[in-house]
Amino acid sequence: MALVHKLLNGSYILRKGLKPSVAACPFLSTRSADYCSSSLQKPVATPGKASTQRTAAGGLQEDQREVSFDKAIKDEIKEHFRRLKDEIVNHWIGPEGRPLQEIILEQARVVWQFRGKEDLDKWIVTSDKTIGGKSEVFLKMGKNNQSALLYGTLSSAAPQDGENSQSGYCAMISRIPRGAFERKKSYDWSQFNTLYLRVRGDGRPWMVNIREDTDIIQKTNQMYSYFMFTRGGPYWQEVKIPFSKFFFSNQGRIRDAQFQLLLDKISSIGFTLADKVDGPFFLEIDFIGVFADPAHTEEFAYENSPVLNPRLFK
Amino acid sequence: MRDYGVEKDLAVYNLLLDVFPKEVFRPRNVFQKIFVHYPRQQECGLAVLEQMENHGVMPNKETEFLLVQIFGRKSYPMLKFVRMKLWFSRFKNINPFPVPRDLPKDPVDLAVLGLRHIEPDLSARVTVYQTASSKDSTGTADPTQQHIVGIQSPDQQAALARHNPARPIFVEGPFSLWLRDRCVYYHILRADLVPPEEREVEEIPEEWNLYYPIQLDLKYGRGGWDDYEFDIDEVEEGPVFAMCMAGAHDQATLAKWIQGLQETNPALAQIPVIFRLTGSSGELLASSSGLEEPSPPPPQEQEEEEDHTQRQQQGQS
Repeated sequence: MALVHKLLNGSYILRKGLKPSVAACPFLSTRSADYCSSSLQKPVATPGKASTQRTAAGGLQEDQREVSFDKAIKDEIKEHFRRLKDEIVNHWIGPEGRPLQEIILEQARVVWQFRGKEDLDKWIVTSDKTIGGKSEVFLKMGKNNQSALLYGTLSSAAPQDGENSQSGYCAMISRIPRGAFERKKSYDWSQFNTLYLRVRGDGRPWMVNIREDTDIIQKTNQMYSYFMFTRGGPYWQEVKIPFSKFFFSNQGRIRDAQFQLLLDKISSIGFTLADKVDGPFFLEIDFIGVFADPAHTEEFAYENSPVLNPRLFK
Repeated sequence: MRDYGVEKDLAVYNLLLDVFPKEVFRPRNVFQKIFVHYPRQQECGLAVLEQMENHGVMPNKETEFLLVQIFGRKSYPMLKFVRMKLWFSRFKNINPFPVPRDLPKDPVDLAVLGLRHIEPDLSARVTVYQTASSKDSTGTADPTQQHIVGIQSPDQQAALARHNPARPIFVEGPFSLWLRDRCVYYHILRADLVPPEEREVEEIPEEWNLYYPIQLDLKYGRGGWDDYEFDIDEVEEGPVFAMCMAGAHDQATLAKWIQGLQETNPALAQIPVIFRLTGSSGELLASSSGLEEPSPPPPQEQEEEEDHTQRQQQGQS
């Protein structure tokens, strides 16, 4: 992430440096990284000398911080190139690095599992604190590192800022998978038709949102959602939601023109709790997977009505 | 409207809409139809309908007639009414575990409802071990007895009878369960997972029933290549033997529950029972840690930070 920050704030010389081909890049990028590290300190004529002078003259803390910053950048560059190499090599083996026959015959796939701390890093947790509300939400590993626990307190006290009249939501969203150089990748679930969740909740109704790939700017606020009702209790609950049941909404409002969710470019999934009931809540998730239910033949559950969309029925 | 307790009453909303003058806001010629006629009033109508939507009140024919009279058929409130009718009727029955709208006031009834809600086995029996002493002649708000309601299914009873007395069983809780907008707490009686080497597989001899096979090993996939299993080991947890909901969460009340359970499960007398009581809205404790001291349950009105630190203190493996 440090490299991205620097690339975004760096000077124009970096952009010139990245244009040549990938093969010549390693040499250029390390040099540009040096320039970059010194440019943030203070503008000097000789970048290389300045950084060494500062390391000699500065205190021990600054020394350590500076060295680790450079090292972090180099590590990150290596990481990005490793990812790029993986992508190119995996392309020869098959999609996503698994052989083609495995992908074609696969009928049930585990997409997110919660068995370690690195699995938790794939998720972002938000609440209405961003708009000034008072709900809190936390995410941590459950018992024995076998599940993830999302817990917190919901409070629907509206923020007194004159803009929002309602409040009270908590959400857990998955991060968009990134490839080499922080390119956005998407999931391809076109051979599956049902979402499978193994959860243990406390009786509250949650909302599952799926967002598609956001390359087109209009798609950033569009999502497909459906409800997930938890039973509560000490037993694990399997929730199967077919993708044909997801309804379309834009900017938080259900739209009149409904179309089915297309599964070839999914970028993220999220769980939201906004049931207007104040109090503590928790949700334990074991894993999230997709599978192809052979008994489910419905394509889309919602018809468009001619009253609301006369244009579709001309 | 919440102050008067009528936010879910459709008649009140109809009366509110009745306040609008009837034929004034309807567009009369094509110019009025193009531009939004009386926009502020339409927004006001929309706000009433939005509150109806927030509280989940389904509008009816009277609302439709009122809206047509007030705003006309092509107005925004009418459009919102059509959308509400459509989406509410689509989502009315999607809850696979429905909870009745009017929850019972009696805590024992509520506990029975909650226990039946979380127990998937329909042959489970609910027993009321103790009712709250509300029939006191003194009428003070100092209940010496709290209600204790327990549930156990015959499978759980059999499993408890088979349980090895050398391994302790734990009373864990309280866990929160939300029924619409009421939160109840329940405790469970469970044992730790038996390590695979000690697990005994029950073998049913083949001559047990001559009329039909007890074990049938059919594969229901469409072909040999069908594999609908997920490539992950599911979380395994120890068996749950019984559940209860009690008014108080201290050890004395739960001990009474265990005594009540002993009447139907005589094997429980030999098995050591350990109480693992944590804060509210907690998760089940780590099962691999050894015998833990029972901790006093904190009060329910606890801040989140205290909960968090307490959980950290009790620790996880």
